[in-house]
Amino acid sequence: MAAAVLSWAVRAARQVLPSYCTSQVRGYYVDWRMLRDVKRRKLAYEYADQRLRINAIRKNTILPKELQEVADKEIAALPRDSCPVRIRNRCVLTSRPRGVKRRWRLSRIVFRHFADHAQMSGIQRAMW
Amino acid sequence: STSSVLSAEKDESTASKTSTNEVASESKEGKAETPKQKLLNLIGDMKVEMSYSKKLKQLKTRDSKKQATNNLKGLDGEGTVHQRSTEDIQRGKPLNPELVEAASAVASSLPLNKKQTESELLAQLRRHEEITDKQKKGTTVDLRNVLSEMAIKKQSRAQRGVRISNRISLDLDEDIQNKSGIPSFISKRYFCCVLSQQNLKVGRRLNIFTKASTEKAALETASPPTIWDLEFAKEVAAVTAQPPRNGFEEMIQWTKEGILWEFPIDNEAGMEEDAEFHEHIFLEKHLENFPKKGPIRHFMELVICGLSKNPYLSVKQKIEHIEWFQNYFEEKKEFLQEI
Repeated sequence: MAAAVLSWAVRAARQVLPSYCTSQVRGYYVDWRMLRDVKRRKLAYEYADQRLRINAIRKNTILPKELQEVADKEIAALPRDSCPVRIRNRCVLTSRPRGVKRRWRLSRIVFRHFADHAQMSGIQRAMW
Repeated sequence: STSSVLSAEKDESTASKTSTNEVASESKEGKAETPKQKLLNLIGDMKVEMSYSKKLKQLKTRDSKKQATNNLKGLDGEGTVHQRSTEDIQRGKPLNPELVEAASAVASSLPLNKKQTESELLAQLRRHEEITDKQKKGTTVDLRNVLSEMAIKKQSRAQRGVRISNRISLDLDEDIQNKSGIPSFISKRYFCCVLSQQNLKVGRRLNIFTKASTEKAALETASPPTIWDLEFAKEVAAVTAQPPRNGFEEMIQWTKEGILWEFPIDNEAGMEEDAEFHEHIFLEKHLENFPKKGPIRHFMELVICGLSKNPYLSVKQKIEHIEWFQNYFEEKKEFLQEI
């Protein structure tokens, strides 16, 4: 099982884009934490509908309580990484978990770096 | 002159008709009457049947014949008339001798050129008879004849165009050679193509080749293209894809990829076209498998209410949603019945 996880992780880490473009493309995630975050996002996408429906049965005043308890057990049985709460909006370039602006998906340090080099569209140093 | 001839005939026919109304019933066979009146009656009858297209055809033929006569008159004298009359007789069904006499009488009565009018009238009668015969037989191949007769004019036009384009090509060749350095053979080829196009359309149809209407090549036996074919196609596309030379090509590439919208902007670009609004809103028909009363029904009605207000899901997704609940509740049926 460890070997399977390792192979899967290696494959995920070395993702080469299946196109025939000649330019070099970086296929590595910044670090393993970013990789795990990517996994969680994928699983959350897969189980989103199911979770929504089971939650609709749970958060209900009409249906009998026994049914809701069964639904509780079912949703707990789903893989842990499928819940959206576990997703962390990391910086896309540095994988920094904190200080990330949602609009640009960048951490504050990277954002500042690019803004000072005039590589952020529409960003200007504030002065008032 | 042709229109004046027709108008003159019309006036005479109306005048004659009013005068000989009583005799008209007897004279339909037309032997006791004077040939003139008989001809006029015939022409009057004919006018009712003739259509505008036929008139045009006749006018065109008359014009072509006039040109021919003008060309011939310079060379010959009266002999041309006799030649043409014999030609007329030889061509199609020989005209009624009475009609010929009547035509000559009318021509003599009219102030215009007698021989010309007589020949024109005879041609008109002959053509009318031809048309009636063909219509009786059921064959309507007049267009071919008309086209062949009209081809005389067309050829001259095409030839004129050829001469003009020759002149143009010669001039342009000189300019091109001097100025931009484009090799002259390309321009010549272009003009040759133009000329050949004009010459191809001229002439009578031989009908050697049948139209390939339903001759579609048999489709490949392997109807879905194999993965190897797809890969090969992708490779070829990737190799031949040049980087965009300018902003326009870049925008074209982006539009193909889907990054850029298509202009003029279509408000319903990504939307599905198959489902109408009533399929989105009236979802009660999917609730047939559920029990009619009880908390489950209540719950499902709320679900449907929420789905009907959802503009983001497609009809298929909504149906899938309801079916999932159906399956879920069926699995839990035994459990529910214990309660």
